[in-house]
Amino acid sequence: MTDTILSLHGVVKRFSGIYALRGVDFALQRGEIHALCGENGAGKSTLIKILSGVHPHGSFEGEYLLDGQPAAFASVRDSQARGLSVIYQELPLVEEMSVAANIFLGAEPRRPGPWPLSLLIDAQSIRRQARSLLARFGILLDPDRKVSSLGAGQKQLVEIARALRNRSRVLILDEPTAALTERESEALLSLLSELRREGQSILYISHRLDEVMAIADHITVLRDGQSVFSAPASQTTQPLLVQKMVGRALGDLFPPRPPSEPNPAPLLTVSGLSVAESRGGSCRLSDVSLTLHAGEIVGIYGLLGAGRSELLLHLFGAWGERRAGSVQLLGTEHTPDGPADSIAAGLLMVSEDRRRFGLVMDESIRFNLTLSSLAALLDQGLINRRREEQVTHHMAKRLRVKAASLEQPVRTLSGGNQQKVVLGKSLLCQPRVILLDEPTRGVDVGAKQEIYALLSELRREGLGVLMVSSDLPELLGMSDRVLVLSDGTLTANLTAKQATPEALLQAALAKTVEQPVVNREAQ
Amino acid sequence: MSERMEWRDLSLLLVLLALGVFFGLLAPQYLSARNLSMLTIEFAITSVLSLGMLLVILPGHIDLSAGSGVGLIGGVTAVLIMRGELPASVAMALGIGLALLLWRLQGFLIVSQSIPAFIITLGGLLAWKGLFWLVIRNQTVPVSAGGHANLLSVLTTTYLPPGPSYALIGLVIALLGLFSLRGHRQAAQEAVRQGEPVPDGELPFLRWLVAAQALALLGLTCGQFRGLPLPLLILAMVAVLVQILTKHTRLGRALYAIGGNEEAAVLSGIPVGKVVVTAYTLLGALVGLTGLLQTAYAGASTTTVGELMELDAVAACVIGGCSLRGGRGSVAGVLLGSLVMACLLSGMSLLAVPPEARFVARGLTLGLAAWLDVRLSKMSKGSLA
Repeated sequence: MTDTILSLHGVVKRFSGIYALRGVDFALQRGEIHALCGENGAGKSTLIKILSGVHPHGSFEGEYLLDGQPAAFASVRDSQARGLSVIYQELPLVEEMSVAANIFLGAEPRRPGPWPLSLLIDAQSIRRQARSLLARFGILLDPDRKVSSLGAGQKQLVEIARALRNRSRVLILDEPTAALTERESEALLSLLSELRREGQSILYISHRLDEVMAIADHITVLRDGQSVFSAPASQTTQPLLVQKMVGRALGDLFPPRPPSEPNPAPLLTVSGLSVAESRGGSCRLSDVSLTLHAGEIVGIYGLLGAGRSELLLHLFGAWGERRAGSVQLLGTEHTPDGPADSIAAGLLMVSEDRRRFGLVMDESIRFNLTLSSLAALLDQGLINRRREEQVTHHMAKRLRVKAASLEQPVRTLSGGNQQKVVLGKSLLCQPRVILLDEPTRGVDVGAKQEIYALLSELRREGLGVLMVSSDLPELLGMSDRVLVLSDGTLTANLTAKQATPEALLQAALAKTVEQPVVNREAQ
Repeated sequence: MSERMEWRDLSLLLVLLALGVFFGLLAPQYLSARNLSMLTIEFAITSVLSLGMLLVILPGHIDLSAGSGVGLIGGVTAVLIMRGELPASVAMALGIGLALLLWRLQGFLIVSQSIPAFIITLGGLLAWKGLFWLVIRNQTVPVSAGGHANLLSVLTTTYLPPGPSYALIGLVIALLGLFSLRGHRQAAQEAVRQGEPVPDGELPFLRWLVAAQALALLGLTCGQFRGLPLPLLILAMVAVLVQILTKHTRLGRALYAIGGNEEAAVLSGIPVGKVVVTAYTLLGALVGLTGLLQTAYAGASTTTVGELMELDAVAACVIGGCSLRGGRGSVAGVLLGSLVMACLLSGMSLLAVPPEARFVARGLTLGLAAWLDVRLSKMSKGSLA
């Protein structure tokens, strides 16, 4: 049963002289789940690109064997033809097409019949085949649903179904749970275990170590472009993995919480807030009340679609129509017309998707850092370049942004450093309240620790932080209080002591109807 | 990124050289002082419009109505002078005012109704053209009565005499040198303060040297024929203003940010709608100015004035390194791109190339530039991956 399907030996990859990989060895056995862990920048993406033929044969050194033969892929097409499928974080699905059409995209069955007829796509057959494929793996998805109406977790399932339709022998999943809630992740993991039982070989790339420990048969750790550790999952521990990933023992990830003091006046008071998406729509948030004090980090938990991001976006002035309730910011009524009003009033937001909402990727660190606070840099109407450089330099130093130059485009930075730039952009606006949406998504452990330290520092300085996070350890480790949203209403307000994973999950499920995503028994 | 720009600039210079040699061999008078002076005027006029186009291409929009607008504004101004018997200065001010109004309207429609700029300005292309022909009643309206000079007619026939021209060029070269030196000093001081290695002064010096040589060449060429033409001086002012606007103001930052990532720009507190309307309004001013220049250069407003100029302006931007998706582009690039277009157009008209072949050549140039752009951006992405 344990024969090698795919292996790398001494793989080295350079980009114009800079090493991305400096010697990677690993072997994926048939029918196993092999986890690949590493911090961002460790070389995981480059490795995937080599495996999938994005970096073709000959563009790297070392040996790449598939079924014991050199896999001389000239392109992604080649690797797909040989049965490799990569499921990326950012899902390349056609939003306006149905689930079935996406599964069969590029390989649509044609109608039977003579020539002109045979040019037509057989939509019936697509639906039938999609239905049976989804049923076979116990994926409860309506093949006729438009992909744009699906959540991130369900989209991932469509991607996987597409790979399975392709009869992929090796599934490569790149951080599949990064955008998923706890429950969606569980559904995905159980599907993967199911696939393993059917003999599917899976390469699983993630830095969520609890998942990796739960699901993988074998674990390989990458650091600085090298495979530094490889062992069966049963013979390793989470702290050991962290140590191997970071290259040093990591201290406590979360800074100590300061002793709670009698709170001064509240910074932000929300009472009875109800918000609809648009003029005609029904309320997505109803009767939400909360208070945020100076020097406090309040966490917000909830399932995907519970209205967490919507709440933050509405407070920031970027989403929804207020139907009822009021928001008081620093003692005055806060009814922003747009983000600009909030920023001027000292309320800042860092959104969950930094590439989409936070950064101008082709522009420099300097450009991005000062984008929201240019007013402070004006000198007779013109931007004072020298002051801008000083301010940027200072902030980059404070946040420990690692870059060769502040003129470097943010596209070239690692996820952690990009996130620091987004945070820095907000901090330059002299905020009193910061709204954070998934502040450490796609950020490696080292940068996570630095971001936590920064948040703790902000708390000491008396800022109020409202933080949405799906990362339970982070939420529990950083928050002074945790609020739980379920289906647009607050279902819990817990102190740090009261907040346990069980209590949070219970509150998160309080009002929602169970809707299984994967259920094998269902058929 | 910067490496890419240098490659592009270098390749553009080579293209310019090739064009010069090609046309120079086929028609020696192409390189005569007189023709080069004319070419300078044509270049200046196209460039003013191209710089306006840059303002809306940066945030990822476009303006297809610019060419019709050039005709319309020139026509309105000429009609106000000839039939309305207004003083030229008043008519010109009214013309520019009309352009501001119309382009503000287009910008407003694009933003408030969120209709793609392509569609709105395609509508503008047709509407302004119809209005233009209506205003001039499909006739030829001279810019001044009976050959008497007025403010409009002298726009493209005035020259700064050679003497003062040389002085001006010398002054500009000296000022550029001073700025370059000051910038380098400041950068060096800042580096010392931050404890970083002091940057090399070689690059700024080389850049200044090249600019100085180009300016000197320009001055000497124009000096052989009457001196620096007024349109070139107008272009210089416009270019400096657009450069300051795009690189040193909040509006400029906003233009790049919107083109680079509109959603991020919104969440960064940038009033995206207002910025885009302002960009179109400013473009309107430059369309108006181009309308005056182009009509004055033609000597009269006729139905063909401004025809296809929008495409030349877009082509100049693309050749000069602007991304049609927005977020990338510079004044220097656009000027170079516009110079390529002007050399090509002027060469072809000197050789009396038939119009059908001219269209094909313009199309090919645009296609080639776009292809080059895609190739170069692939190369630069590849090196980052």
